[in-house]
Amino acid sequence: MNLKSNYIPSESDLIQGCINKDRLMQRQLYDTYSPKMYGVCLRYAGNENDANDILQEGFIKVYKNIGKFRSEGSFEGWIRRIFVNTAIEHYRKKVKMYNVTEAQENTIVDKELTALDTLATKDIMKIVDELSPGYKAVFNMHVIEGYSHKEIADILGITEGTSKSQLARAKGVLRNLIETRINKKNNDSITL
Amino acid sequence: MDNFKDKLYQLEVTPPPDMWSKIEASLDDEKVIQLPGIRKRSTFLFYGITAAAAIVILLISGIFFSKDKKIQNVAQVQPVTQKQPLTPVINKDSIVQNQEILESIIKTKKNKNLIAAVTPRKEGGKKEYITIAGAEGQPVRISKKAATLIISADDEYPPKAKWDKQIDEWQQIMLDNTLSPTPTNLMDIMQKAANLE
Repeated sequence: MNLKSNYIPSESDLIQGCINKDRLMQRQLYDTYSPKMYGVCLRYAGNENDANDILQEGFIKVYKNIGKFRSEGSFEGWIRRIFVNTAIEHYRKKVKMYNVTEAQENTIVDKELTALDTLATKDIMKIVDELSPGYKAVFNMHVIEGYSHKEIADILGITEGTSKSQLARAKGVLRNLIETRINKKNNDSITL
Repeated sequence: MDNFKDKLYQLEVTPPPDMWSKIEASLDDEKVIQLPGIRKRSTFLFYGITAAAAIVILLISGIFFSKDKKIQNVAQVQPVTQKQPLTPVINKDSIVQNQEILESIIKTKKNKNLIAAVTPRKEGGKKEYITIAGAEGQPVRISKKAATLIISADDEYPPKAKWDKQIDEWQQIMLDNTLSPTPTNLMDIMQKAANLE
């Protein structure tokens, strides 16, 4: 199949082309989804090199398994899930999970994280990047991707309780980081 | 303003420019590993081996079941062939055999006492019995030895001493037996003894 420069294939054509191992369609799929998926990779990875590895591995998986896509959900959601799983596999060995008590979990309130809304995406990313790989994984999966604690537990091979406790700790760390950053910003503005 | 969740979820970053060439190279490597020729051959091999195995299994099971059928057929036929035609033949043969044995005993010039001992047993160790008519016409199976004794008695042979010895043995057996002799069989014995004398 020849693609003209301004031709944008439909999602079903794109999928069928990739099933047929059409290189042009594979490239089209990459061009369409790689910026979003690279964003996912960067959120989970600790650095750009790791994010690049995850991106490459993720797209290979997408091309290999695209025949298994059953159009039951959104195609982008299916691709995103592959990338999240690839990122998790990449970091599974590095991640160490520690349980915290329910009391600790309940002390963290989501409201405190709303301060992040005032920040630019770049700044939010910098703050999230400061989390340890374990906290970052659970935070990204639950808060950003919307996975349930059960799903997170299944994917990471931990208990639901551990997933909850990791999230609680992640939020605690984020709260401290936000406070520090906001205080610094205020001080800078006063000085100016 | 979007909240931080949406900002992070929708984050888009352009990947490094050489990323696609790396992915493409990986896809080419995959193709090299899965050569279509090798794939076809392996598929052919797989189906070939499966078909061969199926044929072997069918042959073995065929042989097994055909043997089984033969055994079943034999088992079904044997009783029929033995029961139906042989029963009268056996009866006929046994009557003829009876007569032959009796005649051979009567006509022999040998010592009649030795006939039973010398006559070889049938295959399988079973004794050959002959059937004679009893005092009231009832069939009585007796051994060759007993037949010899009866026939000899008619010919006044063996000598009386032989019979005395035999009757003494029978008496001893009866005395040793815990079962008491009934008046009937005691009378039979007395009668037999009187006859012999």
